[in-house]
Amino acid sequence: MRNNYFRRKLMACAFLLPFSFLMAQGTVTVSGTVTDASSGDPLPGVTVLIKGTTDGTITGIDGSFTLSAPSDATIVFSSIGYSSIEVGASDAGDVSLQTDVTNLDEVVVTGLATSIKRSNLANNVSTISAQSLNGTTTGSTLDGALYGKLTGVNINSAGGAPGGQTALRLRGISSLSGNNQPLFIVDGVYISNVQVTNGSAVASGANSGREEGGSNRVSDINPEDIESIEVLKGASAAAIYGTRANAGVVIITTKRGAQGKTRVSFNQDFGFNEAQNLPGRRQFTPTTVENQYDASERAIFVAAQAAGEIFDYEKELYGETGFISDSRLSLAGGNERTQFYFNASRRDEEGIMKFTGYERTSLRLNLDHKLADNFKIGVSSNFINSEADRGPVGNENNGGVSVGYNLALTTNDWENLFPDENGVYPDARFAPVNVIFNRDKIINNEDINRIIQGANFDYTALNNGNLQIKVKGNFGLDYFSAQSFFYIPEDQQLQRSTLQGFISRVNNNSLQLNYQAFGIIDYFTSNNISLTGQFGFSFLSFQSDELISQTTNLAPTQTNSGQGANFSTSQRLTEEEDFGLIGQATANWDDKIITTVGIRLDKSNLNGDPNKYFAFPRASVALNIANFDFWPVTSVNLLKLRAAYGETGSSARFGSLYTPLGGTSVGGLFGLGLPTVSQNNQSAQLGDPNLEPETSQEFEFGLDIAFLDGKVGLELTGYTRTIKNLIYAFESIPIATGFNNQIRNDFDLKNVGYEISLNANPVTTSNIRWNTTVNWWTNEAKVDRLGVGEFQPDNEGFNLQFGSAYIKDGEPATSLANNIQGTTQIIGDVAPDFEMSWYNEINFMKNFQLNFLWHWKQGGDVLNLTKLLADFGGVTNDLDDPELTRSFGGANGVTGYVEDGTYLRLREVGLYYTLPNSVIDFAGFESVRVGVSGKNIITITDYSSYDPETSAFGPSGLSQGIEVSPFPSAKQYYFHLSLNF
Amino acid sequence: MKKLYNILFLLACMIIIASCELDEVPNPNSPNVDEFVANPSKSDLVLLVAGLEARIRDGRGSYITATGSISRELYFFNSSDPATTATLIGKEGAALTGSEPQLTGFMSSKYSAIKSANLVIEGLANSTDASITTAEAAGFTAYANTMKAYALMEMLALLNNTGLRVEVADPDNLGPILSKDAAYDEIRSLLDGANTTLATAEFAFTLSPGFAGFNTPATFAEFNRALAARAALYDGDHAGALTALNDSFFDLAGALSTGPSRQYGLEGFEIVNPIFKAPQQSGDQYVVHNRLITGIRATDTRVSKFRMRADPVPRDGLNGTHEISLYASTSDPISHIRNEELILIYAEANINAATGSLTDAETALNVLNTAYNLTAYAGALNTTELTDELMYHRTYSLWAEGHAMFDLRRNNRLNDTFLPIDRAGDIIHTEFPLPQFDR
Repeated sequence: MRNNYFRRKLMACAFLLPFSFLMAQGTVTVSGTVTDASSGDPLPGVTVLIKGTTDGTITGIDGSFTLSAPSDATIVFSSIGYSSIEVGASDAGDVSLQTDVTNLDEVVVTGLATSIKRSNLANNVSTISAQSLNGTTTGSTLDGALYGKLTGVNINSAGGAPGGQTALRLRGISSLSGNNQPLFIVDGVYISNVQVTNGSAVASGANSGREEGGSNRVSDINPEDIESIEVLKGASAAAIYGTRANAGVVIITTKRGAQGKTRVSFNQDFGFNEAQNLPGRRQFTPTTVENQYDASERAIFVAAQAAGEIFDYEKELYGETGFISDSRLSLAGGNERTQFYFNASRRDEEGIMKFTGYERTSLRLNLDHKLADNFKIGVSSNFINSEADRGPVGNENNGGVSVGYNLALTTNDWENLFPDENGVYPDARFAPVNVIFNRDKIINNEDINRIIQGANFDYTALNNGNLQIKVKGNFGLDYFSAQSFFYIPEDQQLQRSTLQGFISRVNNNSLQLNYQAFGIIDYFTSNNISLTGQFGFSFLSFQSDELISQTTNLAPTQTNSGQGANFSTSQRLTEEEDFGLIGQATANWDDKIITTVGIRLDKSNLNGDPNKYFAFPRASVALNIANFDFWPVTSVNLLKLRAAYGETGSSARFGSLYTPLGGTSVGGLFGLGLPTVSQNNQSAQLGDPNLEPETSQEFEFGLDIAFLDGKVGLELTGYTRTIKNLIYAFESIPIATGFNNQIRNDFDLKNVGYEISLNANPVTTSNIRWNTTVNWWTNEAKVDRLGVGEFQPDNEGFNLQFGSAYIKDGEPATSLANNIQGTTQIIGDVAPDFEMSWYNEINFMKNFQLNFLWHWKQGGDVLNLTKLLADFGGVTNDLDDPELTRSFGGANGVTGYVEDGTYLRLREVGLYYTLPNSVIDFAGFESVRVGVSGKNIITITDYSSYDPETSAFGPSGLSQGIEVSPFPSAKQYYFHLSLNF
Repeated sequence: MKKLYNILFLLACMIIIASCELDEVPNPNSPNVDEFVANPSKSDLVLLVAGLEARIRDGRGSYITATGSISRELYFFNSSDPATTATLIGKEGAALTGSEPQLTGFMSSKYSAIKSANLVIEGLANSTDASITTAEAAGFTAYANTMKAYALMEMLALLNNTGLRVEVADPDNLGPILSKDAAYDEIRSLLDGANTTLATAEFAFTLSPGFAGFNTPATFAEFNRALAARAALYDGDHAGALTALNDSFFDLAGALSTGPSRQYGLEGFEIVNPIFKAPQQSGDQYVVHNRLITGIRATDTRVSKFRMRADPVPRDGLNGTHEISLYASTSDPISHIRNEELILIYAEANINAATGSLTDAETALNVLNTAYNLTAYAGALNTTELTDELMYHRTYSLWAEGHAMFDLRRNNRLNDTFLPIDRAGDIIHTEFPLPQFDR
C-alpha cells in the first residue's frame, strides 16, 4: 500500500520511478559508539558506511550506530573535522576519531547535485565553517566576514555606512559588465546580490546609481544561520554552473536540525561602532587663514577663536559611538522522520554618524522530512526585513548632498553650523550646504522585505549495493521588495537655488526563480572503481522592476511624494532567462586516482540568439600518491597532485543588446533622443544585438600534503584564467558619435595567481589546543588583447584629469591612469603584490578560547581623491607642513595623490569563556559562554585617509582603489553571551 | 535493467519538457534607435524633432563655465568640481587636457543633438509613410540641418584651430577632423542649404514655446539667417554677415530681446536653468570677474546683471565682489540668439566689411547706448575706436552668454596683455584640444 501510494503521488509529478532494494547476502550486525579521541565525548552525525557501497548509517545523538554489513566488508567511519577510520566489519564496535585540521574527509558540494570528499578534490575549494565565519566576532554583513579567511579573495567596501556595501572578487578580475561579483547560492536558491539604487544621483549629480552608496543585497543573509560556505573560485571548479559563474560561486549551506533532543540556544551581543581612523583637520592660525583667504577672513577667524567657536567638523560628523545589539534565538531538533532548525534574529546597529543605522530581523525555518526511507524532502524558508539609514554620503557633482565631499570642499572649522534656539541652521559660508543640516535633515533610508525559499527532494530510485540511482531536484525563490527613500528638505541651502526640495522613492521588486533536476548514478565495480554520473537541467528566471518616482518643489516640511509641484517617474525592468543542460561523470579508483569530466550547455535570452547553446566543458584529475600501496611514508597521510581545467561564461548585462532612445522634454514638448546620463539608469549606449557570452578558461594545478596524522596540511595552488571576448561598455567611444558608450567584446584578459594555505595543529595537550591557518595569495590581471587599444572603463573613475581606472593593452587591468598635460599616463596599479592572513584558534585552560585573525595586504595603490578635495578646500591636516610638495595638475597631474595601500589589520579578535558545568548545572543550562571581541580594531598603514580598503564605485565593476569622501569605515567592539539549553 | 531504462527515459523526458524555447525580449525600458530609423512614421519623426530641440538646449552650463572662465568674465565657484578654479584658469600654468568635463560634457550634448538631427534625416530617407508630403519632408530636413549647423558652430567656438568632425552619421566610420575654415564652410553651407529648402517647406511638427514667433518655415528661416550671420562673422566674412542679416529678424528699431530661447523647468525630463544661482549662495556661485565691475560705465543699466555679494568669501585664491544676477529662477529661459546680438553683428560687419558703413555701425551702437541709459557715441568714426565701443557693448550685452572667449580671441585680446592675471602663475587659454578619444 505504501509503495502504491507513493507511486500515484509520483506519477503526478512525472517522477514515476519503480524501485527495488536488494539486500546483500551473508550479513553481520555491527553496532557501537563513536567518540572523540581527545575528549571522549560521543560524536553524533558520523557517517558509517560499508566501503565500496552506498549503504550505511549515521550515528545518533549519543554517538551510537547499528548497521548490517557483509561479514567480509570494511566499515568506514567519517565525520567533518576528523580523520576517517576503516575497520573490518567483523571487528567493528566502539570507535574513536582523531581531529583533523586538514579536513580531508569533509564533503564538498561541487557538482550541483553531487559532492566529493575533500581529499579527492581536484580543485582548491575553500570552505568556511560557521566557527570560522562567526566564531570570533560578529559583523553586520556576511560578505564582509569572509575577508582574510580564504585565499584568492579580495574585498573592498564602499565605506562604512551601516548595512555594508562590499565588493567581493575571487581570483582577480573576471568581468567588466557588472557580473564581477560571484554567484551566491543559498541552499540551492540563486539569490540576488544587486545594489539597490535610491535615486539620489539626480540630486547629487553623482555619475550613476553605483555612486549612491546603496548596500548590496547579500547582506540580508543572517550570518548566524550559516553552517558552511564553499567558495568555487574559478572556472575549473565552477564550470558546471555555466554562464552565471564567471566570477566564481559562493555556495552557502544553512544549519539544519538533527535527530535528538531539541537544542535551544540564545545568543546576545552588545557592542559599539567607532570610526576606524579620522585623519584630522588642518589647524588654522590667524596667519594661515589670511594666507588661505584674506584679511577680513582673518578677523572672522580671530573673533571665532575668542568666542571659543572653533569646531572639528570631522569629529562632529563621524565621531559618534554607535550602539550595537544583536540577539539570536535558535531551536534545532527532530525525530527520525522530521528535523527542524528555527532561528529568529534581530540586529540593531547605530552608525558612527548621527541618524545612521541598520536593523535586520530574520526568521528562518528549515525542515527536513523523510517521506520514506528512500525519499527525503527539505524546505528552507527565510524571511528578512532589513532597514538602513545610510546618511548623505558619496560622490557629488552638484554639491548638495554628500557631507564628506562638502567637509573637504569646503567646510571651515571656524564657521558655526549648528542650529540656533529656534532650530534654524545657518547657511554655510564656503560650501554650498551646511553639513550639519545635511546630517540632521537629509533622509537616506532603505527598507527591504525579502523571502528566500528553497525546496528539494532526494529520491533513491534504486540501491542494490553496488548501483544506486537517485533523482534529486530543487526549487528556489528569492523575492524582495526594496523601498528606498531619499529626502532633501526644501529649505536646504542649495535646494533653494535648484530643485526646492527633493524626494526620491524607489520601489524595487526582484524575483528570482530557479529549478533544477538531476539523475545521479553511483556504480561501484568489483575492482575498487566507483563511478558517479549526473545528468540534469537547470532553469533560471530573474525579473526585476525598479520604479523611481521623484518629486521636487516640495511643500514645506512635507515628506510625502504627493506634496510637491513637480513629479517625474522612471522605470527599469529586467527579464532574464537561462536554461542549461548538464552532464558530469567522476571515476574514482580506490581514492587513488579520481577523474571528472563534465559539460554544461547553456542558453540565455541575454545573448543575441536566445536559443543558441554554448558549451562549458570541464575535466580534472587528482592523484592521491599516498594512497598507493608503494607509498612508504606512513606519517604523510595525503600527498595529492591535482590538475583541473574548466570553462565558464558570462552573458551581457540585461539591456546590452539594445540601442535605446530616451525621453526628452523642452518647454513641455515631449520628444525622444539619445538618453542623457543617469536618466532611468540608461546611457546613450550603442548596443550589440549579436552578443555572445564572454568565456573564462581556467587551468588550475596544485599539490596538497597532509602529514603528522593530519596535524599539518599544506595546499599549494596555481592557476591561469583567461577571459575571452570580455563584454564591456566602451566608454571612450569618440564623443562625436553622439553615444556615451558602445557594447563591445574584443577584450581578452589573463589572470595568473598563486595560493598557499597552511593548516596546523602545533600544540595539542590536555590544556592547550591550538589550530592555526596561514593563507597567502596573489593575483595579476593583465590585458591580453584589446580591440580599441585603451579606454577608460564605464564608471570606474571621474574624468581623467582626476585619475581613473584604465584599461590598456599589455598593462595590468587594475591600472590607474591620469591625463597629464593632455597625455594619458598609467600612474598606479591597485592590485596588491600579495595578501596574507593568519587565523588562530586557541583553546586553553579547558574553558577559554582565544581567536584572532590578522590580515596583511602588501601593495596596491589607492588614489586618494578625498585628499585632493581637501587640498583644494585648504583643510588637509598637513598643509602647513613646510616640506609638503604635493600639488594637483601641471606636470604632476594627480600622481601626488596615489598612495600605497599596504596595511596590516587585526581583522577579528575574540576571547571566550565557557562557564564550568558545576556553575551552570543548577540553572538548567547545557552550556553558557561569555566573550569579548573586536573587529578591525587595529590597522597599521601609511595610507593617510580613512581606510585603504575602499572604493568609490560600489560592488559591481572593478570597484577598487579610488577613494572619494566615503562614509568612514568603522571598527567594532562586542560583548557576547551565549546560552544553550 | 528495464527499470533503469524507464528511469533514464523519464529523466530524458523531463529535460525535453523543460527545455522550452527562450523568447527574445523586446526592450521593456525604452524604444530603440533601430526601430525609429528603419521605417519611421511621421509621428515618430515628430518625436525625434522634439528630442533634437531638447538636446540643442542641453550643455549650456558647461559652455558658459568654459568660455566665461577662460575669458575672465566670471569665476565659477563650483560646489563639487575643484578644477573650475584651477585648470580652466591655467593655475600654475596648467594646460587644458581635453578631459575637462566642461568640454566633454558640452560636446556630448552637442553631438547628441547632431545624432538626433542625423536620425531625423536617416529616418526620413527610410520612411515609407505616405502621409509625409514633399513639403513636410523638406521641413524635417531643413530643421535638422539648421540645428546640426548650430551645434557644430558652438563647438567650433571652443575648439577654434583644433577643428572638429562634421560627418558623424556612422559611428563605426566617422568622417575626418576638419580644419576651422573647412568646418565653417560646412556649417555655412548646411545653413544656406536649409534656408533654401525652407522656402518650399511645411512643418509637420511643433516647436516648444521657446520658438514662439519662429515656428513656421518662414519665421524659422529668420532664425536660420541669424545663425548664418553669426557663422559668417565668426568665419571672418563680414559682407556675408550683412547679407544674412537682411533675411533674419534683425531690427534696429525692434526689441533687443526678440529671438528664440531655450526652455527650462523642473517637470519630468525638463532640466533646470544651469546658470541660475541662488542669491548670496556662497559655495555654488558664478562670481563676476572684477574687470567687469571696474570697467562698466557709470550709468550703464546692464549693471543689474551683477549682484553685490554680502559675504565675499574667496575660493582657491580667487575672488570677486559681485555674483551673477542674470536669471531670476531655475525655469528662466536662455536666449539662443536675439536681436541685440544681431545689432552688434550688424555694427561689427559694417566696421569691417569693405562695403560696410561706419555711420551705420555708429547708429547701431547708439541703439544700445540709448537702450542702456548711456550717452551717444562721441568717439571718432574709425575702425579702432568703433571696435573698442563695439567690444564694450559685446562685453556687457552678451556677458555670460558664451561669446567673450571668441570675441576676445578674434580681436587678439584673449591674452594677459588685455586680461588681468589675478593669481600668480595663472595663464590664459585660447582654445581647447579635442578630447583624448576624439583625436
